[in-house]
Amino acid sequence: MIEVKNLTKQYGDHLAVDDLSFTVDEGSVYGFLGPNGAGKSTTMNIMTGYLAPTEGEVIINGYSILDEPEKAKRTIGYLPEIPPLYPDMTVREYLTFAAELKKVPRKDRKAQVARVMEELSITDVADRLIKNLSKGYKQRVGFAQALVSNPETLILDEPTVGLDPKQIIEIRELIKELGKKHTVILSSHILAEVSEICDTVMIISNGRLVALDTPENLAAGQGQGTQIIISSPADAETLESVLTAFAGEGKVNISEGSDGLLTATIDYEGEGDPRKEIVTALAKAGCPYYSVDVKKASLEDIFLELTENEGDVDYSEADEDDSEAEEEESVSSTDALDAEGDESRADKDDSEADRDESETEDASGEDKDASDKKADTFGDSAEKAGEEV
Amino acid sequence: MIAIYKREVKSCLTSMYGAIAISVMLLIVGYMFRYYNLHSGASSLVYAVFNSNLIFYIVVPVLTMRSFAEERRQKTDQLLLTAPVSPMEIVMGKYLALITVYAIPCLVMCVLPLIISPYGEMSYAVDYVSILIFFLIGCAYLACGMFISSLTDNQIIAAIGSLLFVFLTMILHNTYTLVSANSFPSMVMFVILAVIAGAIVVAMTSNFTAGICTTAVCAAAVFIAYFVKQDWFAGKPEMILKCLDFYSHFESFAYSSFKVADLLYFVSVAVIGIVLTFTSLQRRRWN
Repeated sequence: MIEVKNLTKQYGDHLAVDDLSFTVDEGSVYGFLGPNGAGKSTTMNIMTGYLAPTEGEVIINGYSILDEPEKAKRTIGYLPEIPPLYPDMTVREYLTFAAELKKVPRKDRKAQVARVMEELSITDVADRLIKNLSKGYKQRVGFAQALVSNPETLILDEPTVGLDPKQIIEIRELIKELGKKHTVILSSHILAEVSEICDTVMIISNGRLVALDTPENLAAGQGQGTQIIISSPADAETLESVLTAFAGEGKVNISEGSDGLLTATIDYEGEGDPRKEIVTALAKAGCPYYSVDVKKASLEDIFLELTENEGDVDYSEADEDDSEAEEEESVSSTDALDAEGDESRADKDDSEADRDESETEDASGEDKDASDKKADTFGDSAEKAGEEV
Repeated sequence: MIAIYKREVKSCLTSMYGAIAISVMLLIVGYMFRYYNLHSGASSLVYAVFNSNLIFYIVVPVLTMRSFAEERRQKTDQLLLTAPVSPMEIVMGKYLALITVYAIPCLVMCVLPLIISPYGEMSYAVDYVSILIFFLIGCAYLACGMFISSLTDNQIIAAIGSLLFVFLTMILHNTYTLVSANSFPSMVMFVILAVIAGAIVVAMTSNFTAGICTTAVCAAAVFIAYFVKQDWFAGKPEMILKCLDFYSHFESFAYSSFKVADLLYFVSVAVIGIVLTFTSLQRRRWN
């Protein structure tokens, strides 16, 4: 059980976290979602006692992180954005040190270290120096460090960054497993990940909580109906005349792709799945088509909608990658996620970015330009997302 | 605290840092011992130890530059500060580890009097007290170096900072003759100190008004004191400089006699260094 009350963090003139309040119940997985620089890492750093808030309080499992820091910290395992590893130690030495630091009783230390190494499958690198490990292994050693004291609450800042697709799936499974016994809070700007693992999603933007609900409820509450995407080699007029019956006058959005195919997008307001009727109507009109797809409002649409309303959104191209990935889900989602992970690691250092507001804003401006340009090369599916920016 | 202490000692002794610090110390002390005791035939270790003060220029930066700067750069301070240990325990764990590594060559130095003992009368008390003073100066320097390291996340800057600190505290006794002993320049110096105090307050609290208030109050007190009792200011600059001068406290032992005040001086500098490190660690969390 974690209670965050009126949390505010100010760096000079920049408000990184603005009056944030929420409660996290036991035994579930919470996802912290937000664009880069939204205050995710800052909030986590305050919750774990690394930073002190300007105002407000955090109560972890009954202990205030400000008044009884040691008791509160005993119940948390924290994996920061950059795993806090000592390169000159071996994995086993490091985990034993972490266990001792976190007051694991001497007699249990060896067993706990062996357990976490087993859980994260790093037993085979146990006696190698951390500096010689690959990024994925380092990330897992960092994760093991958070688990070594078997804490009630786990706080994970972008836990799947730097992992390969197979490891991402393993870690997600592990988090789901841990979510049954522990309270897990993880941050991510990878939307697919959050909707997959988390029971509850918290979307924050500019340091404020803009939504807190289950992924399903968010989709249901905020969805803009069903979107139908038709790819067709017919001429635009025929296509429009057929589809107007389903979408209404002037609501058919037709664009031509580089391959000469037309892509028509309509928002269907009615109940149920209209594809059968659309296909029949197209056939009747003698209008050929290659594909008719349904796209429901996804978490990313909601994310965009909610964070866009907040004004200057630092919507980076990393999220752009993700939107594409989700649309072509079965094929390439994990690859894209991995690539994105690397990117986010390189260009995002929350704590520093937060300190320099102007820099962040400049960067966000550039990002917008960059993502617009990039959208062109993505082809039709991503064009929509590009326009939303 | 014990976990941090053990990790630090091990990390220092298994890396080049510890090896460099210990070997440099033994090399220099060994050379001075050969020169003053074996070659020139002095019966006391005092001269050898006193002239080994060159050691601090190398040992202090090498041992302290990593301590907090490197933790910050690698973000491992996040592990320490989110673990159930208090910031003071972190500082003490690290400090005691530095002292432990520094104590190793000091213990080796304790063998030196025994080597020359068969060749004549000697005062063990003087020899061992001089090693103790030497150890305490090191403790004071290491605490200050640790504080400098906690101010930055760059090892090189930390090393240069502590090198400059050692340099200044070692040469300050040469500047006594440069400052006037008259009242007026002395008063000006106090005003400058008031400005420095204000700057420290700004650095510590990030509150500009508080800094200005501190300076204003201190400067006003200095002006009032100057008009009320002008004589008091005479000769004070030298006294202030003496407070910051490690060398003269070291020298007073080597060339005159052992004073408990000198011993306390180094202990209190060490305490100030530790407290400042703690403050700097806390300050980073709040800003």
